[in-house]
Amino acid sequence: MRIRDFFLFRRYTLYAVILLLLTAVVLMSLRVKERKGVNFMDALLLEICSPFQKASTFVVQEIQETFKKYLILGHLREENEMLKKRIADLQMENYQMKETVMSSERLQRLLQFREKIAPAMIAAEVIGQDPTSWFKSITINKGERDGIRKGMAVISPEGVIGQILKTSPRHSVVLLITDYNSAIDAIVRRTRAKAIVEGRGENRCLLKYLLRAEDVMVGDRVVTSGLSGNFPKGMMIGEIEKVDKKGLGIFQHAELVPSANFTKLEEVLIIKEFPLPPQEEKRKEEQGKKAKGKK
Amino acid sequence: MRRILFPLFLGVFFLTFQTTWLAFPLIQRFRPDLVIILTLYLGLSYPPISGGMIAFFLGYSMDLFSGNGFGLFTFSRVLLFYGAQFFKDRIYLESSPSQALLVFLFALSEAFVIMLLLKALNPEHLRNLYPLFFTVFLPQSFSTALIAPVFFHLFRKGSSLLFVHPRIEAGKKG
Repeated sequence: MRIRDFFLFRRYTLYAVILLLLTAVVLMSLRVKERKGVNFMDALLLEICSPFQKASTFVVQEIQETFKKYLILGHLREENEMLKKRIADLQMENYQMKETVMSSERLQRLLQFREKIAPAMIAAEVIGQDPTSWFKSITINKGERDGIRKGMAVISPEGVIGQILKTSPRHSVVLLITDYNSAIDAIVRRTRAKAIVEGRGENRCLLKYLLRAEDVMVGDRVVTSGLSGNFPKGMMIGEIEKVDKKGLGIFQHAELVPSANFTKLEEVLIIKEFPLPPQEEKRKEEQGKKAKGKK
Repeated sequence: MRRILFPLFLGVFFLTFQTTWLAFPLIQRFRPDLVIILTLYLGLSYPPISGGMIAFFLGYSMDLFSGNGFGLFTFSRVLLFYGAQFFKDRIYLESSPSQALLVFLFALSEAFVIMLLLKALNPEHLRNLYPLFFTVFLPQSFSTALIAPVFFHLFRKGSSLLFVHPRIEAGKKG
């Protein structure tokens, strides 16, 4: 039988419907159970489609840049005056900051903290966003060949962005912290209250499992706890916008606005490795020794 | 083979367009889903086996680039395709309003299916998921439905140009 005849032959329709739907269900159950799909197929399709995304993003960025430059020319004079004022303010701020940095360094030395080693990071460009409005993800131009693995933390200078969800040799998909499927271990910087930051879509997150007894208020900053393993401790996640103590139970809920602006993301950093705080490092070493002793 | 490869490339093109050009922050909620329009068009005009396979591929690609880790679109797009196949001979689809209405209803149904699956498959209890139906799904389905007749027209024109069927000349047949 010719291939064309096979595709158009209606006798096989029912079998095809069942087979395709069944395959889709099997794929779904595989992804739910093991949190992974058909790796080979995923990687292959990502590799095929991503260059188109890259080219398209390049064109979009070029157009945006041209448009911005045109707008900038229009407002140049006003902006110049505003910037001069801003420089004066920033200079003042800079002196104060220098003072703060110096005192902080002294304190660090006093506390005999280990010298901080910068975590190994990879910079990547954002080449695409989620095709739907309800899930939140981005595609970046770095993949397994650059040492990127699933679950690695993704950050930007403003704060936490998300985690690596899917990888292919040259590209990866990042699950943003605002996605419904995202969850990160966090602490409230002021009170050290522990919670889980869950995505809520629409540039919002939810602070879950926050004990009702904890003192939390609007404007409090939330940072990573370092317990989830992927993120170093103390990375900025966002600011609390709303606290909800209504209802019964031992927990309260709070709404969080991420510090990073996801709509303007162009470059991100992926953390490959990061130094553990001294106490945790010691604990890990001890656990390793114990494990060896048992063997 | 052209009939299979062409919609596949068009699907990849639409997906790219959706993830780059249509990812504009101002239209986030109203961002139309071009791939769903293509899937429904295939459902109305393609044979069930080859069309079903293309719908499967399009859904799979959507899953790949979205933050959805469960592979919901692979399932929902195949379902949509066969839904359209089922209705194609039963409803009037020649006018633009009827096409827009069909796309709107199908897009909403898909949103509903995805929400139900998300709720069922997620091990954690998802809070405030249902309001998304009004804030995200409804505007998106509406914008998708609005542009659907234009795309249906273009698809029809394109396929009549690309896949020319030889005319039967009555005179010669005698």
